[in-house]
Parts: sequence; C-alpha cells; structure tokens
Amino acid sequence: MTPQNEFNELQKLLRLKRLETPGREYFDRFVDAFHTYQRREILQEEPWYAKVVEVLFEPWVAGVPRLATVAASAACLLAGVAFFLGPIQSGPAQLADGKVAHPRGIVVASAQNDESLQIQPELIETAAGGNETELRPLYVNGHGAVAYDSRLAF
Amino acid sequence: MSAETALPPDLENGPTDEELVASTLKGDLGAYDELIRRFQGRLYGVIYHLTSNHEDTNDLLMEVFDKAYRSLPTFRGQSSFYTWIYRIAINRSFNFLDKRKRRQGAMSLNDLDEDGLPKLDLPDISPQNDPNKSIMLNELQNKLNESMLKLSKEHRTVVTLFDIQGLAHAEIAKIMGCTEGTVRSRLHYAHKQLQKSLGFYLKK
Repeated sequence: MTPQNEFNELQKLLRLKRLETPGREYFDRFVDAFHTYQRREILQEEPWYAKVVEVLFEPWVAGVPRLATVAASAACLLAGVAFFLGPIQSGPAQLADGKVAHPRGIVVASAQNDESLQIQPELIETAAGGNETELRPLYVNGHGAVAYDSRLAF
Repeated sequence: MSAETALPPDLENGPTDEELVASTLKGDLGAYDELIRRFQGRLYGVIYHLTSNHEDTNDLLMEVFDKAYRSLPTFRGQSSFYTWIYRIAINRSFNFLDKRKRRQGAMSLNDLDEDGLPKLDLPDISPQNDPNKSIMLNELQNKLNESMLKLSKEHRTVVTLFDIQGLAHAEIAKIMGCTEGTVRSRLHYAHKQLQKSLGFYLKK
C-alpha cells in the first residue's frame, strides 16, 4: 500500500470517529439538563478565593483577557513604574563636622559622637535652604536621634 | 445518535447566530437554548475527542455553555459566535486536561471509557455480516484511540477539527489563535505519527 493510500485509509478511519457521539435522546434532553445545571450553579455560592484561583489559572476566556487580568496587569505595571521612577533614596551621609546629611536634605546630629546625643534644636537645619529651623527631635535613643518631626521622617 | 443530529439545523430559515446572541442579551432565554441546540453536537465531539471520556465531556459541555452565557455581554462580535464558543470549549478542555495531568501525573486508563468507545447509546458501526471484519474494525478503532491519546493536546485538536469535524485550515487557525501554517504543520506531524502507529493495520 502506498503512503497516499495509507493516508486515505487513516482519514476514512478518523471520519468514522464522527459516530462516537451519544444518541439523539441525550441531545434532546441536554437543554433541560443544562437549565438544571445553571440553577444549581447559581444556588452554589462560590467562595471568594475560588474566583482568585480561577483568574490565576485561567486568565484568558476564549482568547480575550479577563477584566480582572487586565486590572491586575495594569496595577502591576503602575507599581513597577512607580518603583523605578520614584525618588532615589540613599543612606544618610556622614559629614566632616559630625552632622549627618539626610537624603531629604536635612542635616541632623551625628549618631557617632557623644556630643550629638545632646541634640539641640539649633543643630537641625535644612540643607536645601540653609535656614535654621526650630524643629525638635521627638525622641532620642542611646545612639542618636531616631525620629524627628513627622515632616522629617526618614 | 446518528451523526446528523450533531449537525446544525438549516440555518437559512432561522436567525443567524449573531441575531440569537443579540436576542439572548435582550433577555430572550429561548434564543440561547437555540444556540445550545445548534452547537451541542459539534462541541460534544470536540471535547470528547480531547478527553476520551463521556462523563467528563458532559460536565465540560455544561460548563462551556454556562461560561459562554455568563461571558456573552463581553462578546463583541470581533469573531463569529461559532469561533468564540469553540475557543471556550477548547480552552476549558485544555485546562481540564492539564488538571487531570497534574492530579495523576499521567492519564490513567480508568479515566477513559472502556475501549475508548462511548458507553452511551451509540450506533454499531461494525459490519454485522462479517464477524472477522467487525473484530478487525474494533481493534483498529481501539488502536486509533490509543494513538490519538499519545498526541499532544494541540495536535489532537487539529486532527479533531480537521479530520473528524471537517473544518477548514483557516477556521481552525482562528479557533486556535495561530496561523494557518501552524495548523498545516501540526496536521502534517499528527498524521505522520498516526500513520506510524497504525501502519500495521492500515496496510492490511
């Protein structure tokens, strides 16, 4: 038998598989069975996490992304953009006079030297404008200033 | 049932699928029932040839029509309803097959209907007057089902849609969201594999 004949035989055989289907009665009853199924589905309330699992495992419906998928992707994208374009913050830099330059432009007392433990309002000044401010430290631990006025939080 | 019941009714005299979709969206539930009647046979065939299990096919078919009904408001008519619902059926079947694979590592024979043939009231296609031929045909059918199951789900889908359901390459490409070239290449590969597995029987 030639390959072409073999192929034709295979196609005939595959066409026979069209007959592998239930009887007419099954299809006659199918619509009613479907209505029963739908009613049962409506009555069975899905827990919230089932929806999450469904979206995670089936993010597309018929080749179209779900609204939840689009929303989650947009949120991730925005979070990513915000993360990369946000202000770059580095650690505080030690200045020669024992003060610490904070990235936000605030110069505060150094944690390294003992004198700085006695933080005085006049030590706190804004680096940006160079104007002294009267902001008081809110509290100080054994090693230096921990936090200041909420406007200066770091 | 006979193959004829799987075919859609004469569409020339009735409303189009899109008109039925519009009626359903306006609240005419009878219109959706009509859509179910039009597609139940063909979708049953697709799902069954992917899962090889009638109970699973029945459950999945219900799920497909339910999912389509709930998603109907999002159907924008960019593709035909026919393509759209076929995609839902194939996606659902693929998800089911993946879950079954994860659950069992590999498919168990217990998942399949005995001999890969339906247990429901099916016509006997074997020749009544020739017992030898009948045995041979049954054996061949079993071997074919076995070989089909060895194909990947994508290859099995193109064989089902092209060889069993008789869809055109372009239609299959739309349904599967790939190019016609991909469909042809998958078909070529699947046919080669099937011929290789069934070579002994096809030569007889």
